[in-house]
Amino acid sequence: MKHAHWLHTLGGSGRRLAAYAAGELSPADRDRVASMVAACRGCRRTVDGYRQAAAALRGWPRVGLTAEEAAAFVPEVNRRIDRGRAVSPRPVRPGLREVVWDHPRLSVASAFTAILLLIGLTLSQVQMWGLSGTTGRNGVEIISVDVDEDTSVMVFQPPGTALKVIWVFEDRSI
Amino acid sequence: MPGPEGRADDRTLVEQAARGDREAFGALVQRHQDRIFNLAYQVVRNREDALDVAQEAFVKAFASLPSFKGEASFTTWMHRIVVNLAIDCLRRRRRGDPTTYDDRLAVPEDGAQNLAAPDDPETALETRQVRSLLSRGIESLPPAHRAVLVLREIEGLSYDEIARAVGCSLGTVMSRLFYARRKLQKVLRPNLDDLR
Repeated sequence: MKHAHWLHTLGGSGRRLAAYAAGELSPADRDRVASMVAACRGCRRTVDGYRQAAAALRGWPRVGLTAEEAAAFVPEVNRRIDRGRAVSPRPVRPGLREVVWDHPRLSVASAFTAILLLIGLTLSQVQMWGLSGTTGRNGVEIISVDVDEDTSVMVFQPPGTALKVIWVFEDRSI
Repeated sequence: MPGPEGRADDRTLVEQAARGDREAFGALVQRHQDRIFNLAYQVVRNREDALDVAQEAFVKAFASLPSFKGEASFTTWMHRIVVNLAIDCLRRRRRGDPTTYDDRLAVPEDGAQNLAAPDDPETALETRQVRSLLSRGIESLPPAHRAVLVLREIEGLSYDEIARAVGCSLGTVMSRLFYARRKLQKVLRPNLDDLR
């Protein structure tokens, strides 16, 4: 049977492959992934990549303070405490990309909900005002609206008739 | 890793420092400064920033000592402070403060595991190439992912300890670690055959 490597790198399978390379799987899962890896050349290369990265990181050289930095370290800390720098700057909030990467499922669900909401709102607007934008839910078509300083005139047509109704609004206080 | 005696000493010094004993706090700083600096450096990957983050972490620790309950070891508590400051430092840097990266991994600690000096020149070259690739891969990771990777792969912390240090759930730690590992694997993979 031909194995599609890319299928093994998606979602849960991809995570299992990484965890397998790090030796973090339970014995049962380990055996299952081992047989998958044995039958998939691409998976073997992926696992090799994970293992090589992990090995290099484990052997990463530690970085120490120079003698000069070490000698000045405590005095500098004391100086900062005396200067009242104990109040640290406000933490910087994570960016959108980080939030999305940290919670991929939640992000997809939020995006999906937002799209549904948008579609729902659009549909409700179309239902309320009609596609032409001037016909109401009850079928009354507004033909024209003229607003003057002291008079407003609206012409509309009730549904199912050729009758045009003219409404005139006058300001009688003038 | 400090043994039980080391932890007891830490606790005594922490108690004294929490009462305002600056000498005890100084001893505590001196004992942990190298380790804390190394952790800060592995995350921020710039000597100047790492020094600032490490010193600021101790300043913050001093201010928070009275609220330190001693449920975790002083080292674990410091991990949390320094990692959060390092992440903040990286985020600030990404939002506009230009900083030059420092790729020199200078002054290795005595007795530290170090692959920098294998006898075989071919192996040494390969190690340098892998490190250089990984270095670039690490620098391209988002700050929080980088911190989790360093705590797991370099510091050797458990998932639980990382969750406590970074202040997030176990699931988030696993997710961040997966993305970080996958990124490094992708960086390294095209070069695997060349290096062999």
